[in-house]
Amino acid sequence: MFTANLLAIVNSGLLAGQDISILDAILIAVVGMVVVIAILAVIALFILLVSKIMGAIEKAAEKKAPAASPKPAAAPQAPKGFPLPDTQSQGKLQLENVDEPTAAVIMAIVSNQSGIPLNRLAFKSIKLLEDK
Amino acid sequence: MDFIGILQGLWEFSGFSVLDWRNLVMILVSFVFLYLAIAKKFEPLLLVPIAFGILLANLPGSEIMYDSVGLTDFEVQVAEGAHWYDSGVLRLLYIGVKSSIFPCLIFMGVGAMTDFGPLLSNPVSLLLGAAAQLGIYIAFIIAIASGQFTPDEAASISIIGGADGPTAIFLTSKLASHLLAPIAVAAYSYMALIPIIQPPVMKLLTTKKERAVKMTQLRKVSKKEKIIFPVVVLVLTALILPSVIPLLGMFMLGNLFKECGVTERLSDTAQNALTNIVTIMLGTCVGATANGQTFLQTKTLLIVCLGLIAFIFSTAGGVLLGKLLYVLTKGKVNPLIGAAGVSAVPMAARVAQKEGAKTDPTNFLLMHAMGPNVAGVIGSAVAAGFLLMLFEH
Repeated sequence: MFTANLLAIVNSGLLAGQDISILDAILIAVVGMVVVIAILAVIALFILLVSKIMGAIEKAAEKKAPAASPKPAAAPQAPKGFPLPDTQSQGKLQLENVDEPTAAVIMAIVSNQSGIPLNRLAFKSIKLLEDK
Repeated sequence: MDFIGILQGLWEFSGFSVLDWRNLVMILVSFVFLYLAIAKKFEPLLLVPIAFGILLANLPGSEIMYDSVGLTDFEVQVAEGAHWYDSGVLRLLYIGVKSSIFPCLIFMGVGAMTDFGPLLSNPVSLLLGAAAQLGIYIAFIIAIASGQFTPDEAASISIIGGADGPTAIFLTSKLASHLLAPIAVAAYSYMALIPIIQPPVMKLLTTKKERAVKMTQLRKVSKKEKIIFPVVVLVLTALILPSVIPLLGMFMLGNLFKECGVTERLSDTAQNALTNIVTIMLGTCVGATANGQTFLQTKTLLIVCLGLIAFIFSTAGGVLLGKLLYVLTKGKVNPLIGAAGVSAVPMAARVAQKEGAKTDPTNFLLMHAMGPNVAGVIGSAVAAGFLLMLFEH
């Protein structure tokens, strides 16, 4: 009965104007949820596939022409054994299309909003995504 | 001169003589909405036109939604010699809602504003976006069980759980246009109230340890991936479920404008001017359908309750799958990002960020939550397409 109802719902493709029971509603809900999950899972698999292909293409291109990538600018570090001053963050920071004053403002905002002193934060890179 | 007669005529021609208490209630409702939008800043870009539409449609003697030839109201008595241009101005604009032009154009604008980067860098987000559609189907079952709604109406009400205004309007205008006003008002009201509705559910279903999980940095997504994604996803989804093409097609077209890099002007127009123009017309027309005589019914109250249930279960669905992923990945996924799967972009992602930061101020979940958030848009469009496939006349 359950399977028959399920098949009827899927195959009919159209329940317009028909009254449905609670059991039918539950079946529709189950099938609907499965459809949503299945479609989004297919998309997820597609993304994984594309990212693998793109990764392989990029690796192959890198092997062919190893371009010299600019090394990130080293942030001044405090001598070992000494804590960093409050105004300095940890680690190396790479700036892409962002000037130093803007980067300093961004780091200060993050520090202020998170309530964490700057010398306990490590920024890896700050880059401009879109220049409008 | 018959002075009394003139006064009597003045009274009869005034709005007071035809004022119905239901219209008066709706006028008060519009004032409350205007207050919430202007003073409390609850989704003002939507709530102001919706509230003003309600006000316009309920002013006594207003013929702003008058349908002279049955443009969208097929029960209307057409007078001899009547023309379509005799209809009220908002009735003429309402054709854009009824024909789904406005929701689809809004979806194009939303697509042009959407960055699929977080989703592409973490495809598991899609599953969270799917799980957060649970509320749609729970509300559908409850609506049918209540015995108060037809299947078409139940499907339209349940889509409120998708937390996506244009999708709710799109589906309702196709299946149960007489319920458009309460469903649209409920959908947008709950979207505005997401920061109040979601946190209790998120806290109830997660432990402090789970909420404190810090997720690893997202991988860099190439430009090519971002260009390929909207085209291929549309084709894939449309092949499985063709009824999603209007919504998802316009959504992906907008996204392609943004990502392809050669249509900046179109992307800019879709994101700003076009979306703003359509929002004005859509909001005002939807508000204008909330006529006191049709809006103030027991069903409206039920729709509001079912919408809330749908929102709660959608949040719970996303968080519960997030918990499952937390277990499967041995603590690498923060379940809070599952709540962002209810689409409402970007409010739901902001709530996930805020709740994560409450547990640990150094935890930045926003970009991780944007993945399920945009996945939710696709998920709710797919759910709407499924319901449309079953119940469209």
